[in-house]
Parts: sequence; C-alpha cells; structure tokens
Amino acid sequence: MSLKYARAVFAAFRMTYLSLVMDSFFIFATLLMPLIYALIAFGILRDKGAHYGIYVAIGSGLAGLWSTLLFGSGNAITSERWTGTLENIAALPTPLWVIVFGKTLASTLQSLLSMMVSYLLGWLVFGYPLTIAQLPEFFGVLFFGILSFVALGLMLAPAFLLNPQIQQFQNAMEYPVYILCGFLFPVALLPFWTTPLSYVLSPFWTARALQSAAGGTLTLDQLAFDGAMILALGVIYLGIAALLFRVVLRKARVDATLGLQ
Amino acid sequence: MNAAVQVSNLRRVYKSHIGAFRRKVKEVEAVKGISFEVEPGELFGVLGPNGAGKTTTVKMLTTLLIPTSGTATILGYDVVKQADAIRPRIGFIFGGERGLYWRLSGLDNLKYFSALYQIDPAISKQRIPRLLELVGLADRANEKVEGYSRGMKQRLHIARTLLNDPEVLFLDEPSIGLDPVAAREIRQVVRDLREQNKTILLTTHYMFEADELCRRIAVINHGAIIALDTPANLKRFARDLAVVEFQVNRVTPQTVERLKGLPFVDAVSVEEREQNSLVIVQSPRGSEAVPDLMAQLNGSAIQKVSVREPTLEDAYVRLVNQADETEDG
Repeated sequence: MSLKYARAVFAAFRMTYLSLVMDSFFIFATLLMPLIYALIAFGILRDKGAHYGIYVAIGSGLAGLWSTLLFGSGNAITSERWTGTLENIAALPTPLWVIVFGKTLASTLQSLLSMMVSYLLGWLVFGYPLTIAQLPEFFGVLFFGILSFVALGLMLAPAFLLNPQIQQFQNAMEYPVYILCGFLFPVALLPFWTTPLSYVLSPFWTARALQSAAGGTLTLDQLAFDGAMILALGVIYLGIAALLFRVVLRKARVDATLGLQ
Repeated sequence: MNAAVQVSNLRRVYKSHIGAFRRKVKEVEAVKGISFEVEPGELFGVLGPNGAGKTTTVKMLTTLLIPTSGTATILGYDVVKQADAIRPRIGFIFGGERGLYWRLSGLDNLKYFSALYQIDPAISKQRIPRLLELVGLADRANEKVEGYSRGMKQRLHIARTLLNDPEVLFLDEPSIGLDPVAAREIRQVVRDLREQNKTILLTTHYMFEADELCRRIAVINHGAIIALDTPANLKRFARDLAVVEFQVNRVTPQTVERLKGLPFVDAVSVEEREQNSLVIVQSPRGSEAVPDLMAQLNGSAIQKVSVREPTLEDAYVRLVNQADETEDG
C-alpha cells in the first residue's frame, strides 16, 4: 500500500512539475523574480554585515515557503477544477490527500529553486556570502522541516473542495504563521498567551533550529528536541489532513461541489 | 446471475441558496426514484434530453455524488458505503474536452492516471501502448493534448478509463460535440469494448447511437424512467404512426402550434438546418394526412415532402411528449 502511495505521490509531483516547466511563466518566476528580490533585499542589507544576512534569509525564505505552500495546496485543488479533472481524481483508488501532497511538493521545489537562485545571485552579484556554521544540520532540518510544512499546508487544502470561492481567504492565512513562527521578528516580542500557538506550528521549530544551525549554536539536545517536534507535528498534521479530506470529500459528494468551477 | 449494476428507487435532490441575507433554500429534484438493472456484459443505454437526469445518475453510480435516497450497487458493492471497493473496478468518462492535462502529452496523461489507479508499473508499460493503439493515438502519443482535436481528446479519455481494465464502464455522452467521423470512431471503440464483454452503461441523446449500440434502453425524462426495453420493442411505441417530413424554407411557431392542434397529429418537431427547416409530423393517418398538413403549412414554401416508417427517435419523441403531457395535465 505505502509503495503504491509513494508512486502516486511521485506521479503527482512529476505531473505538476512538468506542467510548471511547460509554462513560460516558470522561467520568469524561477529566475527573473528572484533577481528582482535579490536586488531589493541585498541592497537593503548592504552595510549590515554577513551574520545579519543569514537570519533575514532564513526568515524571508521560510515566509516565502509558507506562502508557496498555502497557495500551492489550495491551487492543487483549484487548478484541478479549472482543468475539469477534480472529479476524475476524486473517484480514484488513490486518496485525494496523497495526490495533493505530491502536487504541493512540486510547488515547494519550485519555491526552493527560486530561493536558491536568489541567494546565489546575492553571493555572486553582490558579493554577499551567506555563512552557515553547521551545514549538515542545517540541511537536515531544512529537509524534514519542508516535509512538515507540506503536511501543514495539506490540512488547509480540504477547504478548497467545499467551495471554489474559498480562495479569497487564502491571503488571510499567510500572516498568522509568519508572526507566530517568528519569521518576521522574534516570538519573544509577542504576548505570552500566543506561545502555545507557536509551539503547535512546526515552522516555529524549523525556524528556531535553522537559525541556531546557521549561527553555530545548535546543540545535540536542541537538534533532537526541535527535530522530534518537527517530525511529530508533521505526522499529526498528515493524520488530521487525511481525516479532513475524508470528511470534506463526503460533504462535497452530498453538496455536489466537486464539479463546480 | 447477479446484476452488474442494480439501481433501486434512486433519488437525488440538489439544494441551492438564494439571496444574501434572508437565504432561501431552493430544491430541484434531478432524479426521481429510478430503478433498473444492468446485466454483466450488457451494453445498457440511458436515453434522454438535456437536463433529464442522465449525468446525475452516472455521477451517483460512479461514487461522485451521494444519493438523497434509494440504493445502488455496482458489482454488489454499495455506492455510498463501499465506494472504495467500487473505484478500482470501474471506469467513467464525461462528455466534452475537459478532464485531461492539456500541457502534458497524451502518453504522460495515461502514465499519470495509471499511477493514480495504482497499477503495477510492469503492467502499465504493456497496457498503455496497447490502449493508445486501440483508440488510434499511438502515433500522436508524445504530442501535447492541447494540440489534439476534440475527437482525439475523447479517444484519450476512453484510453484513460480503460487503464485499470474496469469491469463496468460508464460512458456519459461520449460522442457529444464531435463531428460525424469522430463520433463514428468513438462508436466503433464502444462496439469493440462490447465485444470484449465489458458491462457498459452509455448515456446519450443521439437515438441512432442508442439504437445501434445498446441491447436495452431506459428512456429518462425529467428525472424519471418513462420506458425501458430493447430498441426494437421501444420502436413499437410508434408502430401505429407514420412520419411525414416537410422540408420548408421557414416555419413560424404559430404554424407549429396549428399543426399540433390537428386531431390526427400525434407530435410535431422542427429541425433547424442551415438552408431550411425540417418539420416532422407523426400521425396514424400517414400519407392520407399530407393534403391537410400542407394546407396548414401554406406560406412556408414547401420544398420537399416525404413519408417514412417510424424510427427509435420517433418512438422517443412520442414517449417524451406523452410524459410531458401527463406531467402538465
């Protein structure tokens, strides 16, 4: 069963990626837009010192990643409505959440590529090195952090099955995560009652571990704790997403909203 | 022998909300408690005009919609409670061009759906080229779907729906909007599938298609089955009739109403063509009625008159008219 799901995830990933690459906008989004962002960001950071740059890079990178996931998971369903394929894939042996997981991974990869191009440009064009003190730990946390991110985005996707108009509320879901996970400023500045909310969001633990790894202060204890939180929350998100997909799909079959555009 | 498809008192109501603040619920009963069975290996037709409830019925049987009441089983599995057991065993297509990934090639579309059907890669590798051959797309398989004609897209849909070697196929208006050549190709593919002993439920509003392909036909109108029989038996509904056809330059709605009002006229329909119109009159008096009918068509510039035997289409028109009159009355 799990091998069949893995194949389906890969197929959805490949199909989405091929569709993205076939689109001429892909070149603009992956190469030209990062160049514009790099120009702005590294212009602002010109006199701040190399150490400061990596913190901004992690925060803005994760914020960008969350936006991509939020829109990617929603669009994974909305785009199927546009092409008229939602009904075709909703009545297949592979659960819909598995397909959306694969599709969201593909948009995440595009976002990562875009970010890498952006940082590479900052380094090559502006001579702004992004120093990461604990490189293997950094990329290990990043890999599992992204999987956990995708699972978080997946929990929101079922809402898009109910009504195509839900897209209008996508933007409203961006900033709560930016703020609660400390992408824009440290969570210590937030009121105390918000702390539990930060703790149940895996991007909070990802950002914390990434910043420590970049600064060279990530201890083995912190790595184990933050890593366990990232993985555990990711598994919980997946379980909730699978349940929500099942409940919402049944409601969509009652309300006849699968065929809507 | 157990039926491949068993439908009992199946009913579906759509609810929609009207108004922004004081929202009212509007209910439309799309399918009104229909019952029928499809035997294994049978090609069963569901014939009806647009909006009759054909697609809603297919969507309930393919687990995409939950019925409001009644039951339906596919290969013995309940469409609501055992949807997961049904999905690997069925295939379905809905008419029209949508439902494919246009930016990908036909081959990539099939590879993708094959993975989602959880078919073993070794089997897919053999099956996909065979299906492309079956639907005549083998030499265009690597081209993007956006460059395909409507008929080619529809044939790709058929290949897609055969990926899992389904036991039961639901084909919802597969030839809709196709040119005559493409529609004939689709019918040939359906005929081939019938030869392979697949159980097929075909919906259409093309009479000749149903007549040519189906063993039995359910005629559906306003969500209810108004007749269910073999094409030959259905034609008997109109055997006491003859059909008089007038090719005319123009015909006004008033003239059509006058014709309908004649005591010896059973039904009147008009086919609008590019250069002229065809007025089709069903009457038990046949050729004897021609002079009286011509008198009513005075001023329509009659080009041609012919009298013929009734077809399945005439039986269908009579059935639908009778059902409409009963509902209105």
